[in-house]
Amino acid sequence: MGFLEVEDLKVYFPIKGGLFNRTLGNIKAVDGVSFSIEQGKTYGLVGESGSGKTTTGRAIIGLNDITSGKVLFEGKDLTSKKSKTASVRKDIQMIFQDPYSSLNPKKRVLDIVAEPIRNFEKLSKQEEKKRVQELLEMVGLSPESILKYPHEFSGGQRQRIGVARAIALKPKLIIADEPVSALDVSVQAQVLNFMQDIQKELNLTYLFISHDLGVVKHMCDEIGIMYKGRYVEQGTKQDIFENPQHIYTKRLVAAIPDIDPRHRAEQKQFREDVQREYEQSYNDYFDSEGLAYGLQSVSDTHLVALPEKG
Amino acid sequence: MWKFIVRRLVITFPQIILLSVLVFIMAQMMPGDALSGMIDPNIDPAAIEKQRENLGLNDPWHERYVDWVGGLLQGDLGESFRFKMEVTELVEQRLINSFWLGVATLFFTYLIAIPLGIISGRWNDTWGDQLITGYTYIGFATPLFIFALVMLWVFGFQLQWFPTGGSVEPGLTPGSFDYVWSKFQHLLLPALSLALIATVNTVQYLRSEIVDTKQKDFIITARAKGASESRVYNRHIFRNSLLPIAAFFGFEITGLIGGTVFVEQIFGYPGMGLLFMESILLRDYTVVIAVVLLFGIASILGALISDIILSLVDPRIRIK
Amino acid sequence: METTDVKMDETTQGVTKSPSGARIFWREIVRDKLALISLIFLVLITAFVYGISLILDQKEIVTVDLFAIHQPPSEEFWLGTDYGGRDIFGQLIIGTRNSLSIGILVTLMTGVIGVVYGLISGYFGGHVDNIMMRILDFFLILPFLMVVIVFVAIVPKYSVFTFSLIMTAFLWMGIARLIRSKVLQEKELDYAQASKTLGSSNIKIMFTQVLPNITSLIIVTMTLNLAANIGLESGLSFLGFGFPESTPSLGTLLSYATNPQTLEYRWWIWVPAAVLILLLMLAVRNVGEALKRAADARQRRG
Repeated sequence: MGFLEVEDLKVYFPIKGGLFNRTLGNIKAVDGVSFSIEQGKTYGLVGESGSGKTTTGRAIIGLNDITSGKVLFEGKDLTSKKSKTASVRKDIQMIFQDPYSSLNPKKRVLDIVAEPIRNFEKLSKQEEKKRVQELLEMVGLSPESILKYPHEFSGGQRQRIGVARAIALKPKLIIADEPVSALDVSVQAQVLNFMQDIQKELNLTYLFISHDLGVVKHMCDEIGIMYKGRYVEQGTKQDIFENPQHIYTKRLVAAIPDIDPRHRAEQKQFREDVQREYEQSYNDYFDSEGLAYGLQSVSDTHLVALPEKG
Repeated sequence: MWKFIVRRLVITFPQIILLSVLVFIMAQMMPGDALSGMIDPNIDPAAIEKQRENLGLNDPWHERYVDWVGGLLQGDLGESFRFKMEVTELVEQRLINSFWLGVATLFFTYLIAIPLGIISGRWNDTWGDQLITGYTYIGFATPLFIFALVMLWVFGFQLQWFPTGGSVEPGLTPGSFDYVWSKFQHLLLPALSLALIATVNTVQYLRSEIVDTKQKDFIITARAKGASESRVYNRHIFRNSLLPIAAFFGFEITGLIGGTVFVEQIFGYPGMGLLFMESILLRDYTVVIAVVLLFGIASILGALISDIILSLVDPRIRIK
Repeated sequence: METTDVKMDETTQGVTKSPSGARIFWREIVRDKLALISLIFLVLITAFVYGISLILDQKEIVTVDLFAIHQPPSEEFWLGTDYGGRDIFGQLIIGTRNSLSIGILVTLMTGVIGVVYGLISGYFGGHVDNIMMRILDFFLILPFLMVVIVFVAIVPKYSVFTFSLIMTAFLWMGIARLIRSKVLQEKELDYAQASKTLGSSNIKIMFTQVLPNITSLIIVTMTLNLAANIGLESGLSFLGFGFPESTPSLGTLLSYATNPQTLEYRWWIWVPAAVLILLLMLAVRNVGEALKRAADARQRRG
């Protein structure tokens, strides 16, 4: 039994229309995704915008309704209605992409960070204030800033407040939805490193959603690549970066810039090969609708979406 | 397109049913019933009770409601106990008067709104625009009844340009030129008073619509292509801004209904609004109910027409 | 690593403190001369009518005095008397107070109902929203004036309070609709979504997270509604279906003008009330418009 197991997750958004507003069809945002995460590890979910990676994360935490499939967290099924409000919820938290809209502009830092604490724990005003100050210190902000408003902070600082809020209940799993993509490049590394520090300190598990392979390479132990709601490849960091099998993954990997001039010729060669392969054998990798096939094992850890041989 | 219209029609029926229920409830809350007004005190109370039973006045409310709606569908609006005549007959002449008042008001509303809106939008921030904006600013804040009173005082009493009451000079033969002319004269001041206030919304809408459209990319493109200024306005801007205005007239009906109550009362113009006020003061509740019902249906249909025209004009507008 | 991080962040904290909502409102009003004058006018007139009406004996003013019917303005009666020999000036003061009071009361009541209705409809969306909006559409389509008049005429134990209840029952829709469409946008923002993941209940999110973010819209709408409500009340009183007889309103004074004699020859009875209504409505609107600009950062003057 894994820590977090997602089995054949499907999230469809209905298309309404017609005379009486019937459901005419579905947008298959997430279309049969399965993966599992071990405790203490970071799992990267990569894909272009619209690939369904964010929807997957939001479905796990309950912000999007699950059409079918299962989400098991420490063996408990999160899809059943009952558990939606149960204490399992406090073990899973989320860090949002946009630090500007994810903090309520009308609330002081104290109220923002204390919100989850107030929902789950009964603390006196004094205890609560102390907790919030500790949390702020933990994320590297001055404890005196509890009476400030979000707009008095920079983007990176705001994201730290977001992290402080997410770890306030000592959760086990944090879903980080592009936590640094809205930040200046100069601040990105700071926030990422600090997320890793916190991970060690609190034994956190991350589901790290990103479109940036460079960031993912830095953060993640295992990686899943999504395309149009389906998985195209899954494996360890080594599997994905050193031995990409699917043409989509190869193209992503080929697109990572490398500043080392000694690799220039190699890189160029690799890119041209990938491009040629893409042009020649596109149909071997995608079905008639342009979607990925089911996953086949390449090794113990490595799965690739390829048509069944035969 | 037809989908939208059908869907819009589908929600109109529950609206009319709800309206009828509301009006029915009001009728039930009113003191007295069809009999209490016409009863001779000398009649034996037992006989009255029997009569009530026969007329179905003691039935449970839902049966009475069905009876009442059944009567309405056959055009039976009941009988006015003050005028001792069928409400339908009583309403007929008043309805015609109000209809003409409405037509004249709508005519003036657009007659004023379109040129003012265009001038103020096309040459915005000139002194002409400021004058028009000043007018809309005052017009917005002026309650209709105050404006109508002032109009009556100035043009009716002080300057004596217009008659100050009624819908026609008594003693003229219906159909003659004098009769029609007199009707028109009686109509003019109330209609103008209503229109001058009602038009303010439209002027403002048109102005901001034109000012907005002026800065849109497709207008800049049209200019860049070398279209003349008048062509830019006539072909591109006005077409975009004027069409929604046309659709507003359905909504204007709802506004007019409130307005007629004031204006007909102030100018003593015998239309539906005045009938409503007279009946409610005389406690002639059958008439009151009939007027509310008719005006309610008129506003429902007005909104329906506007929505349909709007959807024809602007495909973006859709209801869920 | 950690220490350098903190330092770096401290230096990037060059964000200036932006002013609070109340201060933005205040600054906009001060910039806009007309709004400032309007505000001062409103404060003065409110203080004046509420202050004076404490001293004035309302009973005496509304008592009929048959020896002083229709007197022109004099030293005793600054604005003359009405058909019952009652002092017009006193009625003007009390009428203004009553009109203001009921305007504020109705605005507050419609505000509360409209905000709660709009919050629920917009926040839950879907079928709830659909049904609630159909109900709202129905209320919106009713011939307001007539329905109110009928209810005023038939309601037993008619009083100022029942009158404001009746007005409220048919006036909450506008603000409800505005709030609803704003909430529809607001609830999709990450902060509201984040609250859900933090375990806050829907009611808590609606009232403690979303509500504080729509206060400026509520304040602006309610200010503009106040102007409209003063106008509506005086209109209803003018028709004789507003305040009960014993409680004069500005509309009551205007209703004397339905008598052609009064309209033509005794202007002092109705003109001051007309001017006062107009000024009140203009002033409230001016303040409201300035607040509206302040609430929308793109339109701010200051």
